[in-house]
Amino acid sequence: MKAMPTLEGGLRLDTEDPSDWELLRAVIADAHVSTTEDLANRMGNLITEEAGAEDWEEYIVPDLREGFQDELAEVGAAIESAIVEADGQAGPIWITPENAYPWYSALNQARLALEEQFKFGPSEELGVETLSPVRAAAFLRSKFYCAIQSLLLEYVMK
Amino acid sequence: MADTVILPETQELTATDTPWNVIVYDDPVNLMGYVTWVIMKIFGYDESHASVLMMQVHQNGRSIVWSGEKEKAEFYVQQLQAHQLKSSFEKAE
Repeated sequence: MKAMPTLEGGLRLDTEDPSDWELLRAVIADAHVSTTEDLANRMGNLITEEAGAEDWEEYIVPDLREGFQDELAEVGAAIESAIVEADGQAGPIWITPENAYPWYSALNQARLALEEQFKFGPSEELGVETLSPVRAAAFLRSKFYCAIQSLLLEYVMK
Repeated sequence: MADTVILPETQELTATDTPWNVIVYDDPVNLMGYVTWVIMKIFGYDESHASVLMMQVHQNGRSIVWSGEKEKAEFYVQQLQAHQLKSSFEKAE
């Protein structure tokens, strides 16, 4: 897969093989995987009783959850639409400045869920050759998502 | 000669709410540039101030990024969490 900034201030991803689409679909699948609690709940757990944890769980957590799901749905629809456009073959997908944040968020949700599941920690301390095949694949996906996030931050969001 | 009236000493107390601190915690996922970007976006800080706060998060594990009334602290933490930053608010000591 290739990625490059566009003249319109966005980012263009070019899949070079039909199987590259599966890698993009994995963003959504990874974001939905959670060992125990979803991201909105994990955020809510940081609020203390004194700060109003009960109200936070009742009123704020559902809003957070809906926002996270909306962002995933937007990116998932963009990926599926690009696959249809390319007729299932290799092809491009554009991330415009207007939808850069939902992309960043979806990639981040995927990386947070992978971290929750596999506990990689700081990636510079990890040697991929020491990991089991499943953990290694998850780690490499997380690194790929991180690379796109870095491009979004550098070329689109700033 | 007029009697002298001694008035009892009064003390005026001003009720001030204890401020609440908004705290951002470190995590191994969020990129340093993103944490800076979110702090700038939510609090309107300039990049150098936001970078200092981000480095406190990175090096100390947490940073107090704002202090003030509780309702605003709640709002800011909701915004931070919506951007997937580990954050909470607590009464200032």
